[in-house]
Formats: sequence, structure tokens, C-alpha cells
Amino acid sequence: MDTLIVLTLLLPLLLAVLHGPWAGRALSGWFAPLAPLPALALALIAPAGAALDLPWLLLGSRYALDETGRLFLGFTAGIWLLAGLYARGYLAGDPRRHGFGFFFLATQAGNLGLILAADAISFYSMFALMSFAAYGLVIHTGSAEALRAGRVYLVMALGGEMLLLTALWRLAHAASSLLLTDMARAASLDPASCALLAAGFGVKAGLPLLHMWLPLAHPVAPTPASAVLSGAMIKAGVLGWLRFLPLGAAPLPELGWTLTSLGLGAAFLGVLIGLVQRDAKTVLAYSSISQMGFITVAVGAGLGNPGAWPALAPAVAVYAAHHGLAKGALFLGVGLPAGRLKLAGMALAALALAGAPLTSGALAKAALKAPLPEALGLALAVAAIGTTLLMARLLWLIRIRGPAGKADARMALAWAGALAAVAAAPVWLPMSFPALPAPSLWSALWPVLSGLVLAGIAFPARMAGRAVSLPPGDILVWLEPATTRGWRGLLGTMARMDARPGQAGATGGNGRDTGA
Amino acid sequence: MTVNAMLPLAVLASSLLPGLIIFALREDRIRLRTALNLFGAVAKLVLVGMLLAGVYAGQEYTFRHTVVPGVELVFKADALALLFVTLSSVLWFFTTLYAIGYLEGSPHRSRFFGFFSLCVTATVGIAMAGNLYTFFVFYELLTLATFPLVVHRGTPQAMKGGTVYLAYTLGGGALLLAGIVWLHGLAGAAEFTHGGYLSALGPEQASELKWAFLLLIAGVGVKAALVPLHGWLPQAMVAPAPVSALLHAVAVVKAGAFGVVRIVYEVYGVEFAQSLDLLAPLAVAAAITILWGSLRALTQDDLKKRLAYSTVSQVSYITLGVALFGPVGTIGGLVHLVHQGIMKITLFFCAGNYAETLGVHKVSEMDGAGRRMPVTTLAFSVAAFGMMGAPPLAGYVSKWYLGEGALEAGMPWAQAVLMASSLLNAAYFLPILYRAWFRPAPANWPEEHIPAAGRRETAWLLLLPPVVTALAVAAAGLFANADFSPLYWARLIARREYLEWTP
Repeated sequence: MDTLIVLTLLLPLLLAVLHGPWAGRALSGWFAPLAPLPALALALIAPAGAALDLPWLLLGSRYALDETGRLFLGFTAGIWLLAGLYARGYLAGDPRRHGFGFFFLATQAGNLGLILAADAISFYSMFALMSFAAYGLVIHTGSAEALRAGRVYLVMALGGEMLLLTALWRLAHAASSLLLTDMARAASLDPASCALLAAGFGVKAGLPLLHMWLPLAHPVAPTPASAVLSGAMIKAGVLGWLRFLPLGAAPLPELGWTLTSLGLGAAFLGVLIGLVQRDAKTVLAYSSISQMGFITVAVGAGLGNPGAWPALAPAVAVYAAHHGLAKGALFLGVGLPAGRLKLAGMALAALALAGAPLTSGALAKAALKAPLPEALGLALAVAAIGTTLLMARLLWLIRIRGPAGKADARMALAWAGALAAVAAAPVWLPMSFPALPAPSLWSALWPVLSGLVLAGIAFPARMAGRAVSLPPGDILVWLEPATTRGWRGLLGTMARMDARPGQAGATGGNGRDTGA
Repeated sequence: MTVNAMLPLAVLASSLLPGLIIFALREDRIRLRTALNLFGAVAKLVLVGMLLAGVYAGQEYTFRHTVVPGVELVFKADALALLFVTLSSVLWFFTTLYAIGYLEGSPHRSRFFGFFSLCVTATVGIAMAGNLYTFFVFYELLTLATFPLVVHRGTPQAMKGGTVYLAYTLGGGALLLAGIVWLHGLAGAAEFTHGGYLSALGPEQASELKWAFLLLIAGVGVKAALVPLHGWLPQAMVAPAPVSALLHAVAVVKAGAFGVVRIVYEVYGVEFAQSLDLLAPLAVAAAITILWGSLRALTQDDLKKRLAYSTVSQVSYITLGVALFGPVGTIGGLVHLVHQGIMKITLFFCAGNYAETLGVHKVSEMDGAGRRMPVTTLAFSVAAFGMMGAPPLAGYVSKWYLGEGALEAGMPWAQAVLMASSLLNAAYFLPILYRAWFRPAPANWPEEHIPAAGRRETAWLLLLPPVVTALAVAAAGLFANADFSPLYWARLIARREYLEWTP
């Protein structure tokens, strides 16, 4: 098992290095899609409690696989595998595909590694690797939009990491240990650290008010990268919550209540803002914010009420897996040429996301609602009406538009694989979590039906009138100019220090940075 | 004289003697000069290796010589000294290689390498100094040996930078001397001791001790570039790249920071300094320096100047660690002594490569440099990410310990300083990396001296040193917990400096 853990950690990194500007990168491109295979194998066959201690690495490293980790590793590796295959076709003619391959594999190494990390420094290292490398995916096209999205992404990711670092310092000091289990125990006595963690990981998970980067960055990346950003990486934030927050231990009612409210806000606002978007991938990004809201509600409820956590924990993991695969399939589908088959496949994934009966969504939503108070469950059901609307909007947007030409075989295969995983999820998810409650047909059916009826009424009406529009990133419209002004002001002040008499030869500054 | 007393002297001689011979060499004796340089550097490495093994095994290496009664020249190679000696000798070796490549064909090389060797001798002397008097002698020798290196090019700008440098450092030396004399009057002649030697003095001397502390810290603070005593450092970057590399990573600023370490830990004693309330103001001074250096670095378009302000900021991490009362903060400060050295020397080597190969001196000229010089830019990126404190590179180890040390010392505000500094580091390093890796290269470089040949992007002697030091940056972070890492050694020292510490 040790070999498999080491391979999981190293193979993506090794292949990433081989994508550097030296010989052999054409060949390594062939192997690149295989990078997540050890992780997948580990998730499937590793015995419970597999662990690897490397005391000489970092500040003493430990990598381990628990049951939550197994599910996260499984679906994360699956999405990366399919996206990697898809990318071979998607970027076949792109002169910068090697650079993309490097960032893709480095991001993947971080994403898979952080699932196995059982100590704070390993987790933080992998998290940072994932965050920094994903910048290369976001700005790959080099367009002005992509560069702006990259800038917003990087600033927010760095801010989030600083919040995390503060929390980690505090918890490591309180626990006198770097093991995640010890630190989570220490967290139950330190609500401030928990708030920092909630916000720090919240940036990745698209928590409202920390979400602005997401609808910019997820759509602008090349399609296979969008799929992993929205399907896999966004879940790293959730996993961070599960790893560090004292869930099921001490009640933190204030923070729990705050998270639940934010989650509800995300579930509804994500739909509302998503509905007025005109780009299919942006619609999907807002849908991700909305879906992560569902998970946030459950995490918040678990924080406030530790007694409910044993039932919520598997539900959160299952919901994350379900959303990851369904969202991955939806993103991959967007990049395929339009056609009936595409529409049918997309409809399948969309129905799963909305939680129609017999889909993984119905299963995940039922598991999530069972331990929650009735009012919250109802609110989530209403939000699912919104999901249905949003998915109808997506299908409307992609019905005609789409890249021209014939589908690349690798892309089609990857998409079909994702769809198969989504379709089969109602079978294999209960196999790993036998205790999940069985979804009732009616409670899954009525939100979807209502959504469809509503879409039938509202869409033709709306098409007639002038559509409302809100740019991707919503509140960024107001935040960005103020932030930019403040930053330029600071740079201007600093540049004037250089221009002081007696300090000749250092006038001005970096033209682009000062905006002079 | 015993072998154990000879060894510290031999370490000094291994650079002093080659240096003196090189002064006398004709300019065209290139081979002999190179041989002498390398022989000295390698000999020093071997000797330092012997010292390391001995100190690890518990040996003591002390040399004493009475100059006049009451004034002794003392060299002591203890664990703390060796942290600095090892750093200096290893980096000197690589800087020598680099300098040989960098200065190929330029005039006055005998003068350059002579002073270069003197400079390292002075640094090693500072590291091994066993009392304040010895420390002072080598501290001043360092000033005098580095001045000719700073003004090596002889341009009006270099002369101006050198004059400013001399004015600051000589002033600092005077303050230091005043402090030393004052302490001598209070406590007599004494050697550096674990836990300090001043705590025996009565409370009636407390205020005098505080003023003397201020003088001493101001004296070493000039070289450590504590704001507002930092003005010389950005000016001194007119020096050739190998000099900047050594100045910023090892010799001058490190000598200042090391002085702070010795004064706090082995003259006053960290516990006594804490009882005199000296550590909190020191921490504040360090925090101001950290932030101010980072802020000023933001708008520097000249690459070396940006790096210089970055040094101002980063060296004060060491002072901050010293001022954070408790072993964790101490470890953070001491380990950064090494980590800052290897990271900053990498950055300066790379800056030199860009200038020497492509004529690129400014950040705004760096578009596409990563495509033309991938290996150099990779080394630069590793060091820059390390500076930001991104794991798993060396910088995160320092930052992790400093941040936890801030909690231990009851100064959580220092965490905010560290975070602000990390973000500012990102704000002035990431745009450079963005330009180098993501922007297209210009049609013509400003002044391409060394054309690309196959896979070789620049001269081998210029490429090898930054690659090795960048690997060291990665290794120091990745294998921080392994035996004999810089962190391991810093922990060893911290255990010895806290006499009565109970967490």
C-alpha cells in the first residue's frame, strides 16, 4: 500500500516535471491522462486505515486514507482521469498544450495529495500547490478576460491562504501537534480559529461574499480545466472543513448558524444570478455556487448540532461526490459539438443535478435532508426548484450553440465515461455507504416538476421582454474599482518615495503596476 | 597550542592567506588565481566539516590570545557560530565559482578576489568571535573589505553608493564601539556565554543596560538594515552581481543580524533581556522594517533594487525571531538566517544571469525571460516562492516557526505582520514571474552578451551556482525534519540558549 500512496503523490508531479521545457514532453503527454490511476486504485482497493509516515519529510509527514478520504479520492481521481483524457483531444492543436499539461498535472498533484494528507503542513503544501498551479489553468487562453479572472482568483486565493495559515498556527500551538485529528480536537476550544477556517476554505468552496473569483475563473479556463475546477477542486474547500472543524464534537452555534445562512443564501442567489447569465459555462459556475450552498447548509447544521453530524457526515461526502461527477459531466459536455446526443446526455446530467428520481441527486438530497430540521429541508427542496430552472436555462443555451465540427473521439469518450459514472452513481454510492436513507419518489419529483413547469411559463415570457443582466462576478462590479483604486494609491505613494530628491535614478516604477 | 584551538584559526586562514597572495598576483595569472580561490574555498569547506562533526559530538573549539591585559582576542566555534560559518563557507564556494564566470575578461580581478577573500574571512571571524571586542574588530574589517567591492566598477554611481555605504557602516561601527566600551565599564571583560553574562548585575544598572542595548543594536542594526538605518542597502546594489549576492545573503546584512543574535542571547541573555523589557521594542522595530522593506520593494523597477528592499524586509525576520521570547521564535529566527541566505543568493545569482546574458536589468524588461532562460528562471521562481513562504520551500519553515513563536511570546500581532509581508512578497515577486513565464519574449533583448547554444542558456559557471542553491532551498523545506537540516541545527542552538524556559 505504501508504494501506491507514494505513486499517488508522485506520479502527477513527475509527469508535470516532464512537461517542462525539455526533451520528452511529447511522450509524457501520452501518459499524462494516466496520472490519477494510482489514486483511483488506492481508493478502490486500499484497506481501511492505510497510512504512510515520513518523519523526515517537511515537519514530519503523515499520509492516510480514511473513509471520507476514500470517497473524495475516488471521485476526485475519476474526474481528473476523464478530464485528462478529454484534454488530449481538446488541446490537440494548441501550441501551448505542454504548458497546460504542466499546470494541469501540478494542480492535480496538489488536489489528490491534500486528500491523503493527515498532517497540517502536508495539507497546507498540497493546498498551496493546487491553488498556485490552478492559476496557470485559469489564464491559459491569455485573453484579457482570462487575465482578469486570474488576477481576481490569485488575490482571493492568497487571502484565503493567509486566513488558513493563521488558523493553523493557532491550532498547532494549542494542540502541540501537527496531526489533523489533534488539531481538529483543539479547534473545539477555539471558535476564532474555526471562523478563520470556515472563511479560508470558504474561498475555495465559493462561500457567498468569497465567491467572486469563481464565476470568472471556472468558465474562462479551457473546458477540461473548468470541469476539474468546478467538479474536483471546489470540493477541497469542503474537505478542509471536514478535516479541521470540530464537527460532531463541540457545538459552535454562532458559526454553525452563520454557515447555514450563508449556505442558504448561496443556494438561492446562485440560482438567481445564474439565471441571467448568457454563457453556458458561467451558468454552470453559478450552479456550483448554489450546489455548494447545499453542502454548506449541512456543515453549518452539523457545527451547531454535533448530535446530527454522524448522519450528516456521509451525506456531505456523498453530495460532494455526486455534484463533482455531475458537474464534471456537464462541463465536459459544453465543449462538444451540438447535437441530439449531446442534448440527451446533458439532460441526464442536469436531471441528476436537480435531483430527479432515480438519480444520484435524489439519493444525495434525501441523505442531506433527513438529519436536517424540517424547515431547512423544505428550503433546500425549494432551492432544488431553482436548480431545475437553472439547468433548463443551461439546456436552452446549449441547444444550438456549441463548437462546430465533428466530436473528437477522446473528448466524446471522456464525456460518456462521466455520464456513465453519474448514471451508475445511484447503484455504487449506496454500496460504499449502506446506511444512506432511501429517497422517496415524491419528495424528489415535486421540486423538479415544479421547476419544469415554471421554466415552461417563465422562459417564453422572459424571452419576449428585455432580459436583466448582471455581469459574472456580480458584486465584483462594485468591489473591483475600489480595490484597484486603493492599490494604485498605495503604489503611487510608494513611487513618490522613490522620486524624492537625493534618490535619483529610481524614478517612477513599474509602468503597468503603478498605472501611471 | 592544541588542535582544538588551531582549527578556528585554520578556518580563518583558509581564506585570509589565499586572499593576501591574490593581491600580489599579476592580473594575467588567471589560472593560479583561480586555483588559489578554489583551494581556499574547498579547504574551508573541509575544515568546517571537521568543526561540525566535532561540535555535534560535544567538542569545544576555543582560541584565546591576550592582546593587552583585559583585551582578549577570542574565537569560539560553538553551534551558533557554526550555523553562520557553514552558511558563509558553502555560499562562498558557490559565489567564487559564479564570480569567476561573471568577471571573465573584466579588469582588476586580482583586487576583486583579494577583497572578496578578506570579506569572507571577516564574516567567519564575526561568526566565531567569542567576545564583543573580537566581534568589533572583524565587524569593522568587514566594512573595509566590502567597500572596494561595492565601488569595484568605479562609475560615479558606484562611488556614490560606496560613499553612502561607508558613511552608514562607519557610523554604525562607532555606535557599536561606544556600546561595547560602556558594557566593559559595567561588567568588565567577558566572553559570550549561553544565557548571557549581564544578568548578574544589580537592578540599579538596569537603565544603563537599556541605553547600552540601544547603542549596540543601533550599531549592528546598520548592517542588519533595520529601518531607519537601511538607506545604504538599496544604494549598494550598484556592486557587481556576485558581490550583491554575498552582501545580501551572507556577509554584511547577515553579520548585522548575527550581531543581534549574539547580543540578545549571549551578552544580555534572552531571559534577562525579556526582564528588562528590551524584546518588545526590538520586535516592533523588526516589524516596521519588515513592512517598510516590502512596501518599498513594490514599485522598484530595477530588479536588483527590488531584491535589495526585499532583503531589508526579510533579514528582519531574523531579528523578529530573536525578539519573540520563547524557543519556537528563536528557532524561526535562527533558521531564517540560513534560509534567507540561500534564497536571496539564488535570486541575486539569477538577476546577475539576466543582466550578464541578456542585458536585462529591469523588471519591465523581463517579458519572456523564462522561455529564453528556463533553468535560471526556474531557480528564480523557486527562490521567490520560498521568500513568499509557500510550502514546501525553505521560507515556510521560518514563517511557520515565527508565527507559532509569536503566539508563544504573546505577540499575536506579529502574525499579522508576517501575513502582510507574505502578501506583499507575493505582490512584488509574482508580477516578475508572470512576465518571465507568461508574456511573449521581445524580438530583441536589450544587450545579448551570451548567445544561446543548444540547450545551454548561458555560461555554465553562471548557471550552476543558482541551480545548486535553488535545490538547497527546496531541500531545506522538504527535508526540514531530517537530521542535519538547518532546522535541526537551529533547534539544537535554541535548546542551549534557554536556561530556565518552561513552556
